[in-house]
Amino acid sequence: MNLVQLKRQSWNIGIIVLALVLGLWRINQLPQFGAYEARTFVLGILPIALLSMGQAIIIIGGGINLAIGAEAVLINCLSAKFMLNTSFTTSVLLAVFFLVVAAAIGALTGWIISTSGIADIVVTLATSFLLVGVAMFVMPQPGGGVNQKFSDFVAGKDPNFIPPLIWLILPLLIIWIPLYRSRLGISMYAIGSNKDAAFLSGVNVNRTRIKLYAVGGLFAGLSGIVLTGITLSSSPFANISNTATLNAVAGAVLGGVSLAGGVGGLVGPALAALILYFIPNILLAYGIDPSYSQIITGALTILVVLLGGFLRRRTGKK
Amino acid sequence: MSAIKSYATTKVSKSIWALTGILIGLFLLTSFIDHYFFSIPSVGVTLQLAAPLGLMAAGQTICMLTGGIDLSLAMIATGAAFILSVKSSSGLASGLLWATVFCLVVGSINGLAVGLLGMNPLIMTLGMNAVLIGVFTVGVTTFLKGSSTMPDVIVTASSGTFLFDPFSWPVVIWAVIGGIFLFMLNKTGLGRLIYAIGDNAQAARLAGVKVWQVQWATYVICALLGGIGGVLIGGQSGAVAISLANPFLLPSVAAVVIGGTSIMGGLGNYTGTIMGTLILTVLSYLLATINSSEAVKQMIYGAIVLVLAWTYAKISQNS
Repeated sequence: MNLVQLKRQSWNIGIIVLALVLGLWRINQLPQFGAYEARTFVLGILPIALLSMGQAIIIIGGGINLAIGAEAVLINCLSAKFMLNTSFTTSVLLAVFFLVVAAAIGALTGWIISTSGIADIVVTLATSFLLVGVAMFVMPQPGGGVNQKFSDFVAGKDPNFIPPLIWLILPLLIIWIPLYRSRLGISMYAIGSNKDAAFLSGVNVNRTRIKLYAVGGLFAGLSGIVLTGITLSSSPFANISNTATLNAVAGAVLGGVSLAGGVGGLVGPALAALILYFIPNILLAYGIDPSYSQIITGALTILVVLLGGFLRRRTGKK
Repeated sequence: MSAIKSYATTKVSKSIWALTGILIGLFLLTSFIDHYFFSIPSVGVTLQLAAPLGLMAAGQTICMLTGGIDLSLAMIATGAAFILSVKSSSGLASGLLWATVFCLVVGSINGLAVGLLGMNPLIMTLGMNAVLIGVFTVGVTTFLKGSSTMPDVIVTASSGTFLFDPFSWPVVIWAVIGGIFLFMLNKTGLGRLIYAIGDNAQAARLAGVKVWQVQWATYVICALLGGIGGVLIGGQSGAVAISLANPFLLPSVAAVVIGGTSIMGGLGNYTGTIMGTLILTVLSYLLATINSSEAVKQMIYGAIVLVLAWTYAKISQNS
């Protein structure tokens, strides 16, 4: 790796170092570290990592989706309701179906933003209410469940941390890398950095945006289904969707995605979820009241975005 | 400048007629479903319920005019009501004072972070929202332990009748503060500066405007208006809870957007927001008469906000 490449990857390298330091700190706090603890780590970050990746794709394309947490909550409720007492095969088929639903919801959101000309913040704020309403309609109370084999398939049988790790890495390999190398990937960076210039160079801005929101929705759907697999339940609450959305934005920004659009990738957000998971847990281990965790998440997001902005300005990127 | 200004005003005044049409249509539809709605007292009740939203939406209007947004507004409102109810046990004055200090502090943090540190307003206020939820969740059992009922004076101020029936105290409060707000926005230097930095912050800065001071003032005013709105909401429901003003967050943004203020900043006015507020209030009355579950209400509300914003966008594109 030469110096130019090293400089281009400096953000990701910083994230990796920080995640390693925090990870070692956290491991040091635990009485022992084995497969069980590793599984707890991976399960703790998986839903938020997937959601951050989905949000990152949309932000790189110059948009934002404030309903991404609501999408995940909805898919969580749908899957927990309909996968209860089904066979493994049916569960997998249902999971695939709900992923298609999630992508369709994303595409619809993108279509509304493109066609109506209303700002993405307003559209997605409205759809977040709409989707949480649907989720509450599907599951009026927390509950539901899923086939145990399906849960093992997603979250791994107790000390086995390989399946959730695969679900973290697989989307990067089969969705992100092909996307990054495709025409759509180039269009994504183009409309994110300068929509008008992209349009004048022949990029179909609206179609690209719809596709990006669909991929974002797909990631939100993955996050929702993984959540069902881990918790074996559903939680139709607006504050869960809000916290998830906030974490997704924080993860994307900490992962090196600029809110101005056109900058960043998906490996960073996946790693950033580790940091967002470690910091509250390290603090909580020092005996801080768990009800402070929301304050920590909120303050952390603000600090991350602030720091990200300062570093960008110093390195001269936008 | 004057040419741009007059262009903007004609555009807005044209769409005001469209908004009035929507409002009258909704009003007649609601009256058709619920015959009791078509009366002077229910107009009074509608205005009374619209007052807190109208005040919160006023704050949201100036944030959006500068090109920002305040998503912590609902928690600021809840927080002000919470502090007022708890601290009023040692006198109303101290309750009001503490609530005002709270709004000033939170508004200043938001405004200075956006203005001086260049934070993205969306993220700043979303993060602030999470922090405030956490602070008050902890506070209920520790430093804000105490009565969660509103003092009688506040209950009267937020739902009591003023002189004779269709008029009530909250409407008077809304009219007075709204009037001052309209004057501030349209006739004072600060108002002009809010439009100027929303239109082009770079140009305003080069013209010698201290952009960060304007943004600071904007978020402080927004927080104060949110606080007053929250206290009225608390007074109308009698007691405060952590989720008190939460249902008002989307409406506060929606009322501004439906009223024709651009979220990109620089374009719009408070008169549109007032119309948006009234439309949304009649709408929630309509949803309440249909008598459906919370889930269905939330779904319909989100959908209708989208449709109204869309309709407005189409109307203003054509004119």
